[in-house]
Amino acid sequence: MSNPGGPRHYGEELQDLLDGRLDESRRSEVEAHVADCARCRRELDALAWVKSEVSKQAAVVEPTAELSSRIRAALDTPQRASRWSGMTRRVWIASALAAAALLAVFLRGRKSPPLPSLVASDFVAYQSGTLKLDYESADPKAVETNFARHGVRFSTHVYDLGMMNYRLAGGRVHRLDGRTSALFAYRGPGDSSLVCQMYEGSATELPPTDDVREHNRFTFYVYRSGKVTTVFWQEDGVMCVLSSDAPLEDVVQLAFAKAMRVQPTTD
Amino acid sequence: MTPKRDLDSEAKRAEFEATALPFLATLYNTAHRLTRGSDDAGDLVQDTYLRAFRTFENFAPGTNCRAWLLTIMYSVFINHYHKSRRQPVTVSIDELEDRFEQYLESSDDSSVASGLVDVGAMHAARMNPEVDTALRQLPDDFRLPVLFVDVEGLSYEEAAEVLRCPVGTIRSRLYRGRRLLFAALKEYATSMGFRGSRRSDT
Repeated sequence: MSNPGGPRHYGEELQDLLDGRLDESRRSEVEAHVADCARCRRELDALAWVKSEVSKQAAVVEPTAELSSRIRAALDTPQRASRWSGMTRRVWIASALAAAALLAVFLRGRKSPPLPSLVASDFVAYQSGTLKLDYESADPKAVETNFARHGVRFSTHVYDLGMMNYRLAGGRVHRLDGRTSALFAYRGPGDSSLVCQMYEGSATELPPTDDVREHNRFTFYVYRSGKVTTVFWQEDGVMCVLSSDAPLEDVVQLAFAKAMRVQPTTD
Repeated sequence: MTPKRDLDSEAKRAEFEATALPFLATLYNTAHRLTRGSDDAGDLVQDTYLRAFRTFENFAPGTNCRAWLLTIMYSVFINHYHKSRRQPVTVSIDELEDRFEQYLESSDDSSVASGLVDVGAMHAARMNPEVDTALRQLPDDFRLPVLFVDVEGLSYEEAAEVLRCPVGTIRSRLYRGRRLLFAALKEYATSMGFRGSRRSDT
């Protein structure tokens, strides 16, 4: 209570009430006082108005694409960039951006990072727990049904890979490079994981790779990013990709197996 | 203390991109407010991300990445952009305190529309430059708790960690900051219908 010696009024406790920081008994006590005290009502109203108005100030300035590119370029040389400052850093970053722009031309006009990097990032995020599944189930049909219910427009093919020692964990309606992706994950031998994604797209969007395999009339594009292998292939207008920290050839064989199952025209 | 994680460089880069970079817009807006709209905002964001990347092994997956980034940003801001804090404050705190007391002591009970608060009913209007200007003119001691709690949506505890002060300090400064803001915006609030915008006390 504030105002010692005069009429008793609450002060910061009104804010505690507003912010939900009072336990039940204390809350009842403050509310009862406010109901009878015009001054405390005024103060509570004022605090609530400010809280409401100020919360509307969030996210009003959009960062430029240039800032995003500048940060990504700087991250690629964090040790040096961190020691540089001012003009030196800006000159280096400008050079890095120019190099990135040239690289982008070779990547068929795609914005960086390319799809294999994005898929590898998703795999790492899933494995570290920062990318969560929004539907957990070991039942492939249930996961497929969940995708259909939540806006995935194309047919998904979620398989039981138990014979290959991979147990389905569940799925997530994901965003990959600005489009909807049906993401589903498996737990494999040891601590390995397998993350599959299906999205509407084309193999022509992929960057060049030296590791291209042909199997059962499918073409597989294999990429390696650190310990993560990603294998892409196209099924009509839908791209499929597996990513895993399992040995590269194991991931390729899993991709061969998965693509085989849908080889006949499935429309 | 969070144990350090062992990440190889490519995994670190990929995880950082997936975990931290989605907060770019949030950080940029916060930087904009911390620097009071100066051109330093972009550099502050970049320096924040570089430092966060260097210490990413210290980040515990599953915890609040945004709060972690804001903690780093505030530290970078204090150490390298401190000049922004010395910008003269253009409002008189004493005058605002007096104005708020006058509002509380007003005998015109018709200006008090409600008893308990219905915040949801007040969310119809959009953000406005008056509030932004008033917020920028507050001294940082009061402005920053309001910024981190009411704008960024951090808990008192998270804001205390970002600003490296006790939770009780956040509570008291947030309280004073909100009172000062209301005093600065009283006329605007009235013009926006604050007087009769909510249920009457019948």
